[in-house]
Amino acid sequence: MSVISIRNLSVTFPGDAGPVQAVKDVSFDLEEGEILGIVGESGSGKSVTCRAMLGLLPRRATLGGRILHHGQDLTQPAAMQAARGRDIAMIFQNPASHLDPLMTIGDQVAEPLIFHFGMSRAEARAEALKLLDAVQIRDAAGRMSAYPHQLSGGMKQRVLIATALACRPKLLLADEPTTALDVTVQAEILALLKTLNRERNLTMALVSHDLGVIAEICHRVIVMRQGEIVESGRLRDLVHAPKHDYTRLLITSQPGRLPQMTDQRPDSAPLIELRDLSLHFPGKGDKVVRAVDGVSLSVRQGECLAIVGESGSGKSTVARAVIGLNAPTGGDILYEGRSVVGLKGEALTAFRRKVQMVFQSPFDSLNPRMSIQRTIAEPLWRHGLATKAEAMDRALELMDMVELPRSLAGRRPGMLSGGQCQRVGIARALALSPRVLIADEVTSALDVTIQAQILKLLTRLRKEQDLTVIYISHDLTVVRKFCDRVAVFRTGQLVESGTTAEVYADPKAAYTRDLIAAAPDLDQALAGVT
Amino acid sequence: MTETSAINLPARDRPRLKKGTIELAIGVLIVGAWILAAAGAGIVAPADPNALDLAAVLAPPGPAHLMGTDNLGRDILSRVIHGARIDIWMGFIGVLAPLCIGVLVGLVSGYYGGMTDTILMRLVDITVAFPFFILVIAIVGLLGPGLANYFVALGLVAWVAYARLVRAEVLVVKRLEFVQAAKALGFPDRAILFRHVLPNVLGSITIYAWTDAVMVILAGASLGFLGLGAQPPTAEWGVMISDGQPYIVQAWWICFFPGLAMVTLSLGFILISDGLSRRLRVSQ
Amino acid sequence: MHYLTFIGRRLLHIVPVLIGISLVSFLLVMLVPGDPVRLVLGPRATDDAVAAMREAWGLDRSLLSQYLTYVGNVVQGNLGDSLKYRLPVWDLIAQYLPRTAFLIGYVLAMTVPVTVLLAVTAARREGDWPDQVIRLLSVLGMTIPVFWLAVIFARLFGIQLGWFPVSGYGEGFLGHLHHLFLPAVSTSLWLAPVLTRNLRGALVQQMDADYVAACRAKGLPERLIFRRHILPNSVLPTLNLLGVMIAFLIGGSVVVEIVYAVPGLGALMIGAVLGRDYFVIQGLTLVYALVTVLVTLVIDLLTAAIDPRTVG
Repeated sequence: MSVISIRNLSVTFPGDAGPVQAVKDVSFDLEEGEILGIVGESGSGKSVTCRAMLGLLPRRATLGGRILHHGQDLTQPAAMQAARGRDIAMIFQNPASHLDPLMTIGDQVAEPLIFHFGMSRAEARAEALKLLDAVQIRDAAGRMSAYPHQLSGGMKQRVLIATALACRPKLLLADEPTTALDVTVQAEILALLKTLNRERNLTMALVSHDLGVIAEICHRVIVMRQGEIVESGRLRDLVHAPKHDYTRLLITSQPGRLPQMTDQRPDSAPLIELRDLSLHFPGKGDKVVRAVDGVSLSVRQGECLAIVGESGSGKSTVARAVIGLNAPTGGDILYEGRSVVGLKGEALTAFRRKVQMVFQSPFDSLNPRMSIQRTIAEPLWRHGLATKAEAMDRALELMDMVELPRSLAGRRPGMLSGGQCQRVGIARALALSPRVLIADEVTSALDVTIQAQILKLLTRLRKEQDLTVIYISHDLTVVRKFCDRVAVFRTGQLVESGTTAEVYADPKAAYTRDLIAAAPDLDQALAGVT
Repeated sequence: MTETSAINLPARDRPRLKKGTIELAIGVLIVGAWILAAAGAGIVAPADPNALDLAAVLAPPGPAHLMGTDNLGRDILSRVIHGARIDIWMGFIGVLAPLCIGVLVGLVSGYYGGMTDTILMRLVDITVAFPFFILVIAIVGLLGPGLANYFVALGLVAWVAYARLVRAEVLVVKRLEFVQAAKALGFPDRAILFRHVLPNVLGSITIYAWTDAVMVILAGASLGFLGLGAQPPTAEWGVMISDGQPYIVQAWWICFFPGLAMVTLSLGFILISDGLSRRLRVSQ
Repeated sequence: MHYLTFIGRRLLHIVPVLIGISLVSFLLVMLVPGDPVRLVLGPRATDDAVAAMREAWGLDRSLLSQYLTYVGNVVQGNLGDSLKYRLPVWDLIAQYLPRTAFLIGYVLAMTVPVTVLLAVTAARREGDWPDQVIRLLSVLGMTIPVFWLAVIFARLFGIQLGWFPVSGYGEGFLGHLHHLFLPAVSTSLWLAPVLTRNLRGALVQQMDADYVAACRAKGLPERLIFRRHILPNSVLPTLNLLGVMIAFLIGGSVVVEIVYAVPGLGALMIGAVLGRDYFVIQGLTLVYALVTVLVTLVIDLLTAAIDPRTVG
């Protein structure tokens, strides 16, 4: 029996250049007890579809079609208000912003109980405590009077799940519930969702951009693109015999299915060496934050070294120290055997020409008020390597090199896509012809298909320019395909390092094993459970 | 409802006005008109603002004097138009000087942080501890009345608001990756500050500056009204209202029109500020 | 961190500000062009008289020792004597302060309910005609010079219609309310729009916040979401602005007090400025600053009581 039936759903938003149809004529059913995955890239309409099912679209959106739930059409406000929170509940991508910062956890979980079931505050709080226990929050009684900002991201997501479960709904909508979380936490939350599905016969719709995540827990999947359903069915069938070109592209772009891009060389001389490197910052009160703590590591000439870790592991801080954005508080950094800590003036400028960096956020990493041609040209003339006019010409060549059409030269970053912006960032970093390129989570904000393109580009550039690459990432599957050696970080310390093949085949540290096990991977998930 | 969206689709051809454009246009129109009137006061004004006409003392608004005359028979309309010169000038200088000081302090303080920041922000804390208008009155009172001393007082006090605003924005912008990238690329600090940071905080400064102009003019006119700003017989709107106050019962127009002028000019400024902020918010 | 620790830290933060304030008010008198003693005694005073006065005021000593004496005096409540009234400045301020305090309290009592009502109405009907009307009114309100409005009101409601007195402070609580009605309304008409704009903006922003969507997903009705979640979150920024505005009002009350001849601190200040009564100007500036610091402190403590994040 279907819990909810979507019939010809369409959603239109007013835009500057006329109305934009975010969802076009979408129909599907959710059967009782199943977990349905809705997968798609940005702009596919997957989240809008999910939000429409709970009437959470902004007022300016126009809704068409029907959403049927027990004979009621949920596009009607009264029917929606009756079902919302009681029969259908939802959890969201960013748990931090979805909790009221001014209210205690206990009261937020208790709130729907008081409203829907008419419980007293004491009764509702007692029930809330049970719910917090059920979502495996340690010391739930102690957490009842905590405020959201005192909890970690994973905890907040558990609180949201507890709130959603409060009125024992039949259907749970999960909109990218693990995207903002670390991989190990993601694995825990996914396991929790799976348990809830089994034990409470809770029907779920899981929206995600990550086929690996979908594969972990979903029975069936819908692939969306530009507001339309491209294909649907059992994931295994889809993967083995995709009917649509887009599905095929999506599957071949999965990091686990990318070709091996490593370039195993005979051991070359170390180019950069970290010796007992520490970066300690003053924290709250008298505490000291040990962002990086006693790390020794070398980067060899021509290799691609991955620095892997979860949030707070210190992986980005290490990179920023190497490039001189953060000053070490202890230890040393050597480049070609000479210390580069505390360089000033000419020496620093000369070093900066050798080591360059590409950043995480495609939009934030470019000055929004500067055309991309100027952005790429600026390093050349500021370093006195060319006149402004020459630099502008050279910028066009650099655009060719990163496969950006020259017609975009005059545009500002706001008018470019994420992938294009990231190419600009790469071109700017390469303008000075550096020997080392540090890539800090450069693909984590991009769609998988774009990620695949950028990785291909980086591989080509690496060969052409004989670059040494330091690749910082949280994504172990990408690292396995792309990097020669890997260094695993946790809370500021180096846990383990070695060639990628060695570390993945035989991880020495327990933490590395956990990380590898937690990383969602399409093929492993398909081989395992489903 | 699918039908409605189908009907709406052709709207693509009809370009829509950006949010805030109407406010901006009206604001620019009002302020532009005042600036023109002030610049061409000699031509636009029907009479000499200080010409006494003892035959037409306290004449009500009429064909001869559109806004009436004051107790000395001076034409109110002409005085209002000439007054615009003083008040617009007051707003211009009174905003520009503190803006320049404040932006510089805010940039340096926010970008470099550390000791410089601590000292500058302590200075700001101390200055904001004094009610703005009181400190201005005290400074003007001690230095002596007059517009020049009002500007001195503004320079000493009003930069604080800009410094705080710019500092807060710089703290956000400097964490953005394009500033980090500029550092990593080895650009000199001056280039980063003025080419990368400043253009990205300029928007909110501009928006604030237009509302600040309203405040500067209102405070300046208040000083004029209290006898501490522009001195009679200068045709300044605040002074004119003060002059008219004793005659408010028999001749309301002496007070009314300068105030109305001030309302329209301020309205123009605020509409410009509103329009700009709506456009900026949309573009972000 | 506990609330008490927060209070302690916040109080500690005030110390350098207090030192700064005392320094500024001490140095203010140095702004006077020429020799203050000559100005006070007049051009025809003998050199002996001037020297005696200098010694009496301690002007012959070093700046630092003068400052320390000044601070010592201030701490004991001695702000010097008024040159005009020949009375201790502190006594004068104590006499005039309650009237200004009453006026400001009156303005706030008038403004806050109206502000909340207008802002909530506008935000709940965002984009509809009530919102447009309220927005237009608030823009207009911000452009009106308070002293001009006061003059016009005095004529219209005071003289022409005779509803309210146009000068003085009145007797007894009701008398004060009656006498100060026009001054309070004129000030409130400027303050309410500023606060309304701010609160409306905060409300509209919070209405789009993620946690509001989460509340809707819980199935809570809009009314409850608004009262329990949106309103408390929106009050925070407006509370801060209110603090700034009270400081502004303390200054802004000067003009209204002059127009309506209310014998408050503002009137005292202007009298002192026009009469070159330097110690009154100095003392008043100091007191104004101390009151502002106190108001800011109260607002910060209130914010911390509402928002658990500030306490840490």
